[in-house]
Amino acid sequence: MIEKEKLKDYAAKLMFGMEEEEYTTLQKEFDVILEQMEYIGKIPNIKDVEPMTFPFPLEEAHLREDEIGDYLTVDEVLSNVKHQVRDQVKVPKVVE
Amino acid sequence: MDYKHKSIKELKEMLDKNEVTSEELFKEANTLAHSTEEGNYFVTIIDKYRKRAKEDTLINGIPYALKDNFSTSGILTTASSNILKDYVPVYDATVYKRLKDAGAVLVGKTTLDELAMGGTGTTAHTGIVFNPHDKKRLIGGSSAGSAAAVAAGIIPFAIGSDTGDSIRKPASFGGVVGFKPTYGRISRYGLFAFASSLDHVGLFSRNVEDTAIVTDIIKGNDPKDMTSLKDDNLCYLEHIHDSIKGRKLFYIKEIVDEEIYQDEDIKKTIRTFKELMEKLKKEGFLIEEASIDEKLLKAIYPVYMTISCAEATSNNANLTGIQFGSRKDGKDINEVMFNARTLGFSELIKRRFVLGSYILQKENQEKLFLNSLRVRRLIVDKINELFKEFDGMILPASGSVAPLITDDVKSEKLDPKATVLENHMAIANFGGFPSITLPMYYHNGLPVGVNLTGRVREDSLVLNMAQKIEDVIGIKNKVAGDDDV
Repeated sequence: MIEKEKLKDYAAKLMFGMEEEEYTTLQKEFDVILEQMEYIGKIPNIKDVEPMTFPFPLEEAHLREDEIGDYLTVDEVLSNVKHQVRDQVKVPKVVE
Repeated sequence: MDYKHKSIKELKEMLDKNEVTSEELFKEANTLAHSTEEGNYFVTIIDKYRKRAKEDTLINGIPYALKDNFSTSGILTTASSNILKDYVPVYDATVYKRLKDAGAVLVGKTTLDELAMGGTGTTAHTGIVFNPHDKKRLIGGSSAGSAAAVAAGIIPFAIGSDTGDSIRKPASFGGVVGFKPTYGRISRYGLFAFASSLDHVGLFSRNVEDTAIVTDIIKGNDPKDMTSLKDDNLCYLEHIHDSIKGRKLFYIKEIVDEEIYQDEDIKKTIRTFKELMEKLKKEGFLIEEASIDEKLLKAIYPVYMTISCAEATSNNANLTGIQFGSRKDGKDINEVMFNARTLGFSELIKRRFVLGSYILQKENQEKLFLNSLRVRRLIVDKINELFKEFDGMILPASGSVAPLITDDVKSEKLDPKATVLENHMAIANFGGFPSITLPMYYHNGLPVGVNLTGRVREDSLVLNMAQKIEDVIGIKNKVAGDDDV
């Protein structure tokens, strides 16, 4: 069974925490997940297969012209910011 | 008057003859949406009617709903997550803009599995979405509210998104048509990304023709989405009744082998499916069974989980509560983000994220992530090889009717017996294939769908073949509560 400490580390890397009993559930779930993952390892001779990161090759890939397109106003950008001061996002002080 | 069973075409005719106004249709939909609130189909119901567009289109004046993970300027958009429960976007998703420009009238934003990362419709911050056919059952997800609202007859069509089968599975459980076209056919601009290489925009309706009508409006190139396809300049509606004589379909024999299943309901679905194949042959389809290595089939689900969870961890890294979303206090910026994410995400989402984090650890990347991407290619190559000979792949969309809502289902604990039958539709996401589910039969009053998947870019042909299949099955425009099912 995967160690709980490892799971806590994975969660911390993504910047969140879970309750102790949630880690216990996850620990059990990982057993099932890892069992399922075994199926990936059962496919033979895949070392030389190119990993598929996209459903099919893009038809056209080009750089667009450097023109001004749609943009948001400062008010729009800040409309969902809970803490702000003088048109800027306010966060806790970094330097004491 | 009851508009529940009317198709888009019929409603449009009524509007043109002034037998009903768009505002009356909106009010009817709004009343129905409010009267079914216990089903939790909507996160937001819009109460103010917005005037129709001037330009005449087939959907001008027709009410519809949008999944709550599409950006709508000035309208609350939560993705059914606590971390976005107060988020009001400042820009429109392309699909919403196109519908607005075409005169369709938005009735509400529909409930989904949190951040679209679920398959049951039970994990929204507002609770479970119930199946309108039977309140003890789930509707499936993640596009749960969109499926349920169309199945309940509130609106004739609704927009959804589909990463593994998030439109096509709830369509099966809701007895409606669910379609996701080729990857890139409909712009993803303004759709909250879950797994970008698998995410598709699509829709629900109650018949194939309506699906073509709406797809014709929302498809097309979008410079704001760099993965959007060039226009195919086809009107799908015009080709919907083309002859299908000689079109070749295959089904995967390992998935529809009645002998391997114990469950009587699954056996019944397979028998019904095989009977349907015989009827389709009589109507001109050529249908054969194809065989695919079981090792590949069993890998579909873990490959899907691996790729989607890994992509989701990075796509959702922007949810910090600082620039937008629910902010929480903390002594420094890291603690602010940590607290916002800890309190903003539900347990299920966190479990999926931890899995994504595990997959992306240096020591697991080659073995899990890259190997999943390799197996993805092998599966897609195999299907494309079959598509050289066949025009489409046809299979049951689910093994049986919508499951009952149980604690296990609610917590979305991974089912160790998860069969290939329940997860094969992710193939269409791996390869970007156009794929549609339509009602196949009713078992004790509950629907089960059939799924058709075609070649990349051949959306028109898929709709054309689906139309014929719908004609043969003879089920369309049904809503929950109809007596004759």
